[in-house]
Amino acid sequence: MTTTTAPEPKADPKPKGDRRWWQRKEPPRQDNNAIIGVGKSTPYLFSLPAILLVAGLLGFPVIYGLVQSFYRRPSLGADPEWVGTENYTDMFSSDAFWHSLNKTAIFVFGSLVVGMALGLLFSFALFKVVGRLRFLRAVTIGPYIVSNVAAAVMFRILFNAQFGTVNQAIEWLPWVETGPRWLADPTMAMVTVIFTQVWTDLPLVILLLLGGLMTIDKAHLDAALVDGATGWTRARHVTIPLLAPQMLISVVWLSYSTLTGLGVVLALTGGGPLKATQTMAMEMYTVGFRNLEFNEALAIATFILILNGLLTLGYVGIGRKYDYEA
Amino acid sequence: MSDTLPQDEFLTESAAEKALKASEGTPREPRRTAGRSRTKGIIRSILISIPLIALVVWTVAPFFVTLSVSLKDKTEVFADPSLIPANPSLDAYGDVLASESFTTSFWNSVIVGVGVTVLTIVISVPAAYAFARFRFRGRHLLLLFTLLPRLVPSIGMMIPIYRLAVATGMLDKRLTLVIVYTAMLLPLAVWLLVGFFQAIPREIEEAANVDGASLWGRLRYIVGPLAAPAMITVGVLAFREAWNEFTLVLVLVNSPGNRTLPFELYKLQGVEGVADYPIEAAFTVLTIIPFIIFYTFVEKHVVAGLISGSGK
Repeated sequence: MTTTTAPEPKADPKPKGDRRWWQRKEPPRQDNNAIIGVGKSTPYLFSLPAILLVAGLLGFPVIYGLVQSFYRRPSLGADPEWVGTENYTDMFSSDAFWHSLNKTAIFVFGSLVVGMALGLLFSFALFKVVGRLRFLRAVTIGPYIVSNVAAAVMFRILFNAQFGTVNQAIEWLPWVETGPRWLADPTMAMVTVIFTQVWTDLPLVILLLLGGLMTIDKAHLDAALVDGATGWTRARHVTIPLLAPQMLISVVWLSYSTLTGLGVVLALTGGGPLKATQTMAMEMYTVGFRNLEFNEALAIATFILILNGLLTLGYVGIGRKYDYEA
Repeated sequence: MSDTLPQDEFLTESAAEKALKASEGTPREPRRTAGRSRTKGIIRSILISIPLIALVVWTVAPFFVTLSVSLKDKTEVFADPSLIPANPSLDAYGDVLASESFTTSFWNSVIVGVGVTVLTIVISVPAAYAFARFRFRGRHLLLLFTLLPRLVPSIGMMIPIYRLAVATGMLDKRLTLVIVYTAMLLPLAVWLLVGFFQAIPREIEEAANVDGASLWGRLRYIVGPLAAPAMITVGVLAFREAWNEFTLVLVLVNSPGNRTLPFELYKLQGVEGVADYPIEAAFTVLTIIPFIIFYTFVEKHVVAGLISGSGK
């Protein structure tokens, strides 16, 4: 059994570069087969169901979506015909698309600003009482167990113009007569959607940032202190840069969640009023499932996926640059 | 006095800070220093409690107002907007629990949730074990598992999966939901479990192997019990996804008999011209409470699994 095993297991840890990964031989390792007295097919049998299911139901949609975005059905119910990039050129020349791109930009940027500000504030505060006040942890993850639709119902009640608690509080102020009509006013509807989206996403952001704060080596902070950096200076020049990886992941996650998120918008406003919250995800849903123009909608979906990839790369690039400077 | 501002609040006073203060000597007279530090302590605790209170209000307020509205009468909601209902009633809950739309969708959610949980664990545990313990060709596909969910959000899946379901005659079936949700959950589940399996010392399994345990025996009596907390975590995540998922059930299921709770709640707020807020609120509360019960029930086992796993 061990005839092919090299005398020293760590002899050649790097695989040969001239082969593709599926042709490459794993470097022999002694401890490998030694404990696992099983047939060669076992690992494949174990992992195949998962690989097939993921490839079939997550991999297939990407390829299908990309291919079908170059087709179009001439009429409802007819077979799709190849139209080249026509779906894309039509998309880029339609006002509805640019409108939704504009709304998405506001939605993503607003959620990033609100989400990161609240996330940093809450995680710094929670870090101060880590180990004590344990109920706060349970409170923090509360929104995580709520579906997007339930969150939308809750925020529709909270932000109701007539009886909502937010307006009750605003109208309690002596100089305000009536609070804004949150979901009927185009600008305020976007604000409401942003708050609802951030509310559902914040638990993960807080846990990420809190985890990052807890892993920061105390020596760095003590060293900064010896150098005379306290308070804001220390937070600005020591804590925040050390927290950069977790902040980056939070930004990527928030932007992914808002760019591709449909549930909150659909359940809260449905894109309205007057298309004021018609994000690209909503636009894709409208084109696909209300107008039943699947191929046109797939062009939008592909655009969203590409944009998401580019944004992620952009954030990582910014993060790396920041890392080198520090 | 500008030193006493919140800027010092970011981290707890460390040992070096104390040492530094001690080495500074005491230029001021002792009593005054004590008074200053006490005021500073009070200001500090007030300043730290403000964001914490904000956190609690931010998180709890939506739950609280929904609970409040659910205990009111339809007209009372508008007539009396105060948070504590004057004469709370459970009528809305009675109406929701008696309605067929709730009971049907509730059981659909339970069935789909349990199905996804079981299927996810059954598929992800062997896969993760293979990725963690064996070296075989295609092991690099693990990378695919960590990358794919980032590339394929449910917005990108909606139309292709819908078309696939139409083509295979799987539209409007609960089984379709179980399979699709499981596929969505698998990357996360495998990724979590691989980390956990790798943390289990190889030597334990080697020792068992020497004692004559088969692969199945090792999985059943060693890896399984040790990994129980991770598997329960994966189960909770899978159940949560199935319980809360909305966008795919919206396109994959149509008939009222197959809808899950989020879909039914979405329909509830759409059909009626004037929203019946107490009913909506009660329905919302009733979708959240079962998950909390489920979680508190399972959490005990997570803790128990952790203790028995590490102790023996």
